Amino acid sequence: MLLPEGDLKAILEAALAEGGDFAEIFLERRRTTSISCEDNKIERVISGLEQGAGIRVIAGENTAYGYSNDLSRESLIQTAALVGKALKEQKRSAGRKGQISFHRPRPEVEFNIKKRPDQIPVAEKVALVERANAAARSVDGRITQVTIGYGDVIQEVTIANSEGVLVDDERVRCRFVVNAVASDGKVIQTGFESAGGHQGWELFEEVNPEEKARQAARRAVMMLEARPAPAGKMPVVMAGEAGGTMIHEACGHGLEADLVQKQLSVYAGKKGQKVASELITVIDDPTIPGKYGSFRFDDEGTPGQKTVLIENGILKEYMYDYLTARKEGRRSTGNGRRESYQDRPIPRMTNTYIAPGKDDPEAILRETKYGLLVKRMGGGQVNTTNGDFVFDVAEGYLIQDGKVGPAVRGATLTGNGPEVLKIIDRVGNDLGFALGTCGKDGQGVPVGDAQPTIRIPEMVVGGILDEEDKQ
Amino acid sequence: MDYQALQKQYLDLATQVVEKAAGKGAVAEAYISAGESLSIEVRDQEVEALTTARDRGLGLRVIADGRVGFAYTTDFCPQAIDLCVEQALANARIAARDEHNCLPARYPEYPGLDLFDQEITATPVEEKIELVREIERQARAYDPRVKITESCTYNDSRYLVVIVNSQGIATAYHAAYCGASTFVVAVENEDSQTGFGLAYSLRYKNIDPAKIGREGAARAVRMLGAKRIATQRAPVVFDPYVATNFLGVIAPALTADAVQKGKSLFRGRVGQQVASPIINIVDDGRRADGIASAPFDGEGVPTQHTVLVDKGTLKGYLHNTYTAARDGVKSTGNGARGTFKTTPEVGTTNFYIEAGNRTPEEIIKEIPRGLYVTEVMGMHTANPISGDFSVGASGLWIENGELTRPVRGVAIAGNIIGLLENIDAVGNDLTFFGSTGAPTIRIAAMTISG
Repeated sequence: MLLPEGDLKAILEAALAEGGDFAEIFLERRRTTSISCEDNKIERVISGLEQGAGIRVIAGENTAYGYSNDLSRESLIQTAALVGKALKEQKRSAGRKGQISFHRPRPEVEFNIKKRPDQIPVAEKVALVERANAAARSVDGRITQVTIGYGDVIQEVTIANSEGVLVDDERVRCRFVVNAVASDGKVIQTGFESAGGHQGWELFEEVNPEEKARQAARRAVMMLEARPAPAGKMPVVMAGEAGGTMIHEACGHGLEADLVQKQLSVYAGKKGQKVASELITVIDDPTIPGKYGSFRFDDEGTPGQKTVLIENGILKEYMYDYLTARKEGRRSTGNGRRESYQDRPIPRMTNTYIAPGKDDPEAILRETKYGLLVKRMGGGQVNTTNGDFVFDVAEGYLIQDGKVGPAVRGATLTGNGPEVLKIIDRVGNDLGFALGTCGKDGQGVPVGDAQPTIRIPEMVVGGILDEEDKQ
Repeated sequence: MDYQALQKQYLDLATQVVEKAAGKGAVAEAYISAGESLSIEVRDQEVEALTTARDRGLGLRVIADGRVGFAYTTDFCPQAIDLCVEQALANARIAARDEHNCLPARYPEYPGLDLFDQEITATPVEEKIELVREIERQARAYDPRVKITESCTYNDSRYLVVIVNSQGIATAYHAAYCGASTFVVAVENEDSQTGFGLAYSLRYKNIDPAKIGREGAARAVRMLGAKRIATQRAPVVFDPYVATNFLGVIAPALTADAVQKGKSLFRGRVGQQVASPIINIVDDGRRADGIASAPFDGEGVPTQHTVLVDKGTLKGYLHNTYTAARDGVKSTGNGARGTFKTTPEVGTTNFYIEAGNRTPEEIIKEIPRGLYVTEVMGMHTANPISGDFSVGASGLWIENGELTRPVRGVAIAGNIIGLLENIDAVGNDLTFFGSTGAPTIRIAAMTISG
């Protein structure tokens, strides 16, 4: 616990002294290690200690927020008073009366961190990075550069609010990334792989860093020989291993309650309506052990929970944090997340996925005469207001007579969330997870996303127009 | 905050930290940043959120036996500082040796820049709140179809930077900037379209709420009723905002770091034509009213005006102290430090394509059929190493030299070098969006996928 209960109470009381009907303090102590290897050498080894507190006061729908990295009791009481005063200047409220008495909510899951990263000698972490570097470089003579990154973070948080919630939590995350560059003298291409989760050094019991490094290198080399992607409309098969960027962008963001309440989402006002093919069920779930978007408590102290967002095509639920839930007189779904003490919590995804269906993934491919096979997705973006989204294809192939054809590079898929979800006509029985950092309102948080193999009968592929590729 | 007093206090602290590390046989550099910030968000004329912050941190870089170690802390108590020194030294022992690792020596002088507008601090919060309200009022007044405010914000930041190293540098400056933006949605029938307006400046008086609000509204309204178009090849015009998005992809490739590591498409091309002869690309760390302007970079090296591409010819790359030592040249003052949490890498300051001499209207007038692109989506997925990009785009269709109907849901793709070579017109309307700026540019022909 980062501050005694008595201090937390005093701070919350100071925050509410001028009125306001909710106060919260989020204390954080973050210890990080990061190692980067590039140009065949360990270039950076960085250790960090960062701590700070964010204080929030809410009156009605108005919020005042302040943060500081001075964690002394006096300084925090002073910050709390300033935040409370800032709110009062915006809007008076009756204020909240009565003593705060703390209770500790129970998490729905416990995560077992087997090997805390701070117990692993830095030399061992460096050795792993060096092994991965050597593995990537051994793949092909055309590999010209390899960057390996390793990072771990131990984030201790204490969250307390005027409704009596008091949570201490520790989040442990490890992450490993490989970026390989291949060049044949004319063309330069890249390959990327990553692994990570809400877990300790045991991550490397399930993930072989050398194999990941070789995969990234092989992809970079393969892309040298890939032809430019075709342009225009065509059927698209997304492999289960491709990751879940599409679902994250196509509907995930649009189901966040803040965007819904501001009428900034195409899914606003559509609870209970059919928004996707009945083959589609979409779930957000931070309680899956070890995934990158997993947690026991969200950043407001609400236990993480599994939320069915779309069930057999029917929109069931949005993702809420405390404030958006309060506006509707309901409970948070435990989706209140923030990048650090410097940020206000907002509704965010955790691990989001399309639930597996019944089809055999191989049959889906076999029964697709032509189109694009997406084997790996890259980053994406959505305009939630109209549902238009794009994402990048990191590894893609032409589909010719139901078989995997030549590799293509430089493809982007663009579509409209509701339109795409409605026309998905095949859903496989597999499921592949990927990890990422999701950006929203300038805040990045770790997320996981996944989907089974799916087929979209028609999507716009943004490539370089080439007559011979046209069907 | 009393920046003068704080500056003295932190110069002393940085000096002590450097001496501690140097006492253990390393060359050392302490970087401290400390600041205050304010952010105001208004919706429907109400202050939805107001954030005030105080923040500080110290980053310590040490070099021992040619090996770099780094550690940072926000806790300035003696034990935390000692731990930071120990960790930096320990990290250096595991890093690889590289003879080019070094710190800059003392400089005789730095450019005198006017970076601290008192008005930013002196203006009361109430007045800043009123400025944001005015942005929203202006946006709504522009057209009744502007019905939803996604956000209307004002923010400012006042900060102090201190650098001390064991080679004789001990320097500091304080600066401030402010900015405001709006994202509004225009609604008509079933269609919703978003538009934005924004401005950043070193001067409070340069933030014009009417301009920001009306621009956001105009951008949203003109996109109402946007439709897809069929796949085709046609001339494409990027408005300054879209052009700056592409410039963001070019920036990493112009750093010496990327070049030395074989990750730049500009590698080995100094002296060659890499863009159309009407293109000049500049990085200027001392530009007047540039929000990235500073007397020195993240290592204490003076900032400068660097021409990277001159009439389409590549002139050189951006350097920090390390990349300069490796190439045997002088640092261009581009040791960029976004935060105290990282070592100074190579990065841009105020980075822009120079203005041409034709108006955007003239440039559009010459196009029989083409696309005026006002927004791109997924720009962060472009690959700065290969130069390949493929992004979602929307904008306005050009027919007989006139902007006609709005277009959405198309994709444009290509390679950044091809794009640069294909530019056949540059506008006179250089506009900065934060620290990156560009004028309107026209690409002779591109594939538009619809």
